[in-house]
Amino acid sequence: MAWRNLGRNRMRTGLAALGIIIGVVAIVSLGMAGVALQQQATSDLGSLTNEVSVSAGADSDEDGVTEDQVEEIESIITDAQVIPQKTNSTEIETRSGNAYVSVTGVTNASALYDVSSGTAPDRLETGALISNSTAQELGLEVGDPVAYEGQLYRIRGLIEADDGFGGGGRGELVIPVSGLRDQQYYDSVTIITGSGDTAEATADRLEERFNVDGRDEEEELQINTFAGAQESINSFLNTLQLALLGIGSISLVVASVAILNVMLMSTIERRGEIGVLRAVGIRRGEVLRMILTEAMFLGVVGGIVGAILSLAVGFVMFNLITGDAIAVLEWESSQYLLYGFVFAVVTSVLSGIYPAWKASNDRPVEALRG
Amino acid sequence: MSVIKLSDIVKRYQSGEETVEALKGVDFHAERGEMVLVTGPSGSGKSTMLNIIGLLDTPTEGTVCLDGLDVTNFDVDELTEQRRSSLGFVFQDFHLLPMLTAVENVELPSMWDRSVDRRDRAMELLKIVGLGNRLTHTPAQLSGGQQQRVAIARALINEPDILLADEPTGNLDQETGRTILEEMTRLKQQENIAIIAVTHDEQMEAYADRIVTLVDGVIQS
Ligand SMILES: Nc1ncnc2c1ncn2[C@@H]1O[C@H](COP(=O)(O)OP(=O)(O)O)[C@@H](O)[C@H]1O
Ligand SMILES: [Mg+2]
Repeated sequence: MAWRNLGRNRMRTGLAALGIIIGVVAIVSLGMAGVALQQQATSDLGSLTNEVSVSAGADSDEDGVTEDQVEEIESIITDAQVIPQKTNSTEIETRSGNAYVSVTGVTNASALYDVSSGTAPDRLETGALISNSTAQELGLEVGDPVAYEGQLYRIRGLIEADDGFGGGGRGELVIPVSGLRDQQYYDSVTIITGSGDTAEATADRLEERFNVDGRDEEEELQINTFAGAQESINSFLNTLQLALLGIGSISLVVASVAILNVMLMSTIERRGEIGVLRAVGIRRGEVLRMILTEAMFLGVVGGIVGAILSLAVGFVMFNLITGDAIAVLEWESSQYLLYGFVFAVVTSVLSGIYPAWKASNDRPVEALRG
Repeated sequence: MSVIKLSDIVKRYQSGEETVEALKGVDFHAERGEMVLVTGPSGSGKSTMLNIIGLLDTPTEGTVCLDGLDVTNFDVDELTEQRRSSLGFVFQDFHLLPMLTAVENVELPSMWDRSVDRRDRAMELLKIVGLGNRLTHTPAQLSGGQQQRVAIARALINEPDILLADEPTGNLDQETGRTILEEMTRLKQQENIAIIAVTHDEQMEAYADRIVTLVDGVIQS
């Protein structure tokens, strides 16, 4: 019955459904856009924000991180990779020219560096890695030798350009720690954790252990995270998301008004018919339910079509923003499909209440007269 | 006992400053198996009286008894129940629902009632009024006379005690009007119901058991 009533005025029903669909698509795609931006921003920063970097503190007796301190860090931090490094700089000379590079002595090279060709070993004991740009400048390839302090290293991999921040313009040469044995201490220790939050927690634990001694604070080690950057970016993204949802809500209100208008028009138009229903003994509650059912049908159909369209929009958006269209299916963004659908049904029914109430309480004598 | 009895009915309409007294102390009754015609000039209160009999409207003064039951002070929902179980309506301009087929229109009064299936009775009634081969036609595919027969079948679906008709032949030509009246006369006996019809139609008088004339809200005898 409700279904046929809707089928009667296809144009009007279609327009109402369109209003709902647009509302749903607006809310869902704006919500998804927020998620996509957040994911992309987090993954761009991810390689930095989950790191803790440790170096000698202002109150340290030594000018580096000692072997003992590294061992102590390793004993506290069991759930993350602890990578001590020694650094220096040098000038590499080859037949095709010279280049200044910073030299890093590290064992676990694979954790710190991504290579575009060759390999970055877990345990770098012989050989070296070199920046792509430097290799190109000097005409070096994987397998070629590089000299540092009289020792020759065979290049095992070319380091990809770092697209995060930091790094600077200078090339980098990565060799085994043993190559920098002249330096007694490590210059820095990088700790790679699972996320920005664990990095933060890790930093706190280290502060506690090394820099708080009873009441006094002494900076034995300097402990840095990029959590600040992460935080301000998160708060920016949250603001953005709120703004997007705000725009979504406006379209939501517009859609509700459209539904209300359609339901009101259709009950006014059918006043006589509803009068007949009441005259032949259809109860007020039954008329009410009929009109609410119509509104709900509209909401369900509009909601389903809207959700399907939004999903399509979501695929395109994720593909453009994060490059991974399938990620739209993850709960974080697909939950907006559910919200959109629920919105459509709830607002439709709410918008139907007043017209339904009005129609069912209309006195049949008056309704029949015209 | 009379199936419907109005005693000393007064109906006033208040429109702005003005008060119109449409019925001025009307007594009326009808019995099962009779057809009562209500006639009178336009504006004399015929429709008003029929609406009160049909429990669509309530009187300002007086009492309404339906089969011995005093329904004068019933509320909206109780009146709806009485209409549903005891009354059938036929209107001048048919008032069928355009998106329903003939048989669905006949079923309409019981369509929300899951406890009964009136499909068989609906088809039976359409056969009785001569539309056995038009069951799935929509109102737009039926002539005026056929639509009014569907309306009569609808009025009878719930096995009412009283059939009320306000100008049932008003929108039909003489010939079609006559067939409708013959139909109603037959059903009156077959179903043992009271038929109360308002009309201007002279030819209807031949079918009536009793004629009541209203002038200016008063019954002439
Ligand atoms: N809802 C109403 N409000 C005000 N006056 C009304 C209303 N309904 C009927 N009337 C008046 O009551 C009188 C009787 O009307 P009605 O019963 O429709 O007459 P009839 O059906 O005999 O032509 C008329 O004067 C009419 O104007
Ligand atoms: Mg009238």
